[in-house]
Amino acid sequence: MSTALAANPGLRLWSVLTSSIATRARLLALGALGLGAVLLGVGVRVANPTDRAQAAWSVVNGYGLSLLVPVVALVFASASLGDPSEDGTLVYLWLRPVPRWQLALSAFAASVTVVAPIAVAPLVVGAAVTGTGWRLVASSAAGGMLATVAYSAVFCGLGLRVRRALAWGLAYLLIWEEAVARISHGAARVSLFVSTRSLAASIARHTPPPRNSVSAVTGLVFPLVVTVVALAVTARSLDRGEVT
Amino acid sequence: MSAARPTLQVTKLAKWFGSVVALSDVSFDVGPGVTALLGPNGAGKSTLFRILCGLANPSQGTVRIFGEDPRANPAIARRIGIAPQQERLFERQTIVEFVTLAAILHRLSDPAAAAARAIETVEMDPADKRPLSAYSKGMRQRVKLAQALVHDPELLVLDEPLEGLDPRQRLRAIELFGRLGQEGRTVVVSSHVLDEVERFGSRILVIAQGRLVAEGPFSAIRDLMDDRPRHLRVGTDRPPALAAGLLSSEVANGAHVKDGWIEVETSDAPAFRRRVAGVARDCDARLLEVIALDEDLESVFAYLVGGR
Repeated sequence: MSTALAANPGLRLWSVLTSSIATRARLLALGALGLGAVLLGVGVRVANPTDRAQAAWSVVNGYGLSLLVPVVALVFASASLGDPSEDGTLVYLWLRPVPRWQLALSAFAASVTVVAPIAVAPLVVGAAVTGTGWRLVASSAAGGMLATVAYSAVFCGLGLRVRRALAWGLAYLLIWEEAVARISHGAARVSLFVSTRSLAASIARHTPPPRNSVSAVTGLVFPLVVTVVALAVTARSLDRGEVT
Repeated sequence: MSAARPTLQVTKLAKWFGSVVALSDVSFDVGPGVTALLGPNGAGKSTLFRILCGLANPSQGTVRIFGEDPRANPAIARRIGIAPQQERLFERQTIVEFVTLAAILHRLSDPAAAAARAIETVEMDPADKRPLSAYSKGMRQRVKLAQALVHDPELLVLDEPLEGLDPRQRLRAIELFGRLGQEGRTVVVSSHVLDEVERFGSRILVIAQGRLVAEGPFSAIRDLMDDRPRHLRVGTDRPPALAAGLLSSEVANGAHVKDGWIEVETSDAPAFRRRVAGVARDCDARLLEVIALDEDLESVFAYLVGGR
């Protein structure tokens, strides 16, 4: 990093928060979860089932987008502001003449920086090794990155606002994303999982389209809107809330 | 105490968490120089500090720093240096990385030089490559002090900054606070140790049970504390005789013998200490020891609170 970049407050915040969330224990545990995507991809390739495209899609949809990316994002993003808030070190970032939005954005960027290589990269590799074509690879990359961005923004704010953010985040994923949004078409319209899956399915030209899907445009726009709103709420919380 | 416009103005401040009242009707002004905030653990000092720095909202009342609300104007942070009480730092960083981070976030023109200066001010080594996780409590205190000083603030808010320092480091830190105060800065230091505060030689705010119970120069506070009734235990080889002698010489308001000791109540502890040896000699008793039973700070604060 050049001297000018090293002295940039935003980059410094990002660097500090990235290194604080990327603990060895987290990297090992969630790296293993990421490795699961690659192993599943290899399994599909080796087993060579009759409907290999469907099996490969299940790796991206059933494992990558519904489990791997949300859980990895939850762990790292909720820690990005949650850890310093709980251990009291947030004071050393908050009590500086730094705009609150910059602090929120840095935490979000730190989370995306760690989640992408831990979750999205193995998902893309897993999709590639199934040998079902570039569309599945592209869909896993696009869907995975969009999910990473949206979930990171949501869980950054969650980590700041609530204690036991992991428990609350898992409850949200299991109850809303995995249960309610799969059953109810209305709920599916405001589900990050359904949105990112719909976008991925559209790129992969997966047929038939998944149940409770939304259009590709909605699948792209809704997570981005959620991202912006979540970051704004996090910045406001930093501005108005109390810092421990 | 203060200059024309106080650095810090606290007016009718209150803070509660649910049904727990942490601070109640606290008002004071602080100007340049060293001001000590004295109070037992749990008195509300840290809550008060957090509100002063804008880290927490008051439930009632106002805080003005340089005439402005610290919550409404984050830019005021440029003029404040805070060393919080909690020990945790960015554990994987070195001291120079930690202090330089503070300098960068304050947008100093030469963060590295400012960090090196601040680290040297607290007598640490900028070349130390150990992570902060390897530092002792005393070293952490000095790291916190360095990051608070790095941007040369006009107001320093230091929460229990002497805790964990060895006697020599304490002395040096107290000298440093004095020097910063003499330079025209406002230094607010909290402590729960009476003797520590005495060495600041400064104005004192005494807080107990969330209320400001006394304020003024240390000597006035000390006099107030010395005026309270004291209980002492006196060891002697002739307890009944010495007890009678203490009562008849009127150095004690009350005395009774218990388990071979004399328990004494006096309203003038310094005079008692001066005269007890003479009374013992007159009674032909051997004085073994005199122990204060309520010299701890909690009892001092309880007295001050009760006296209001």
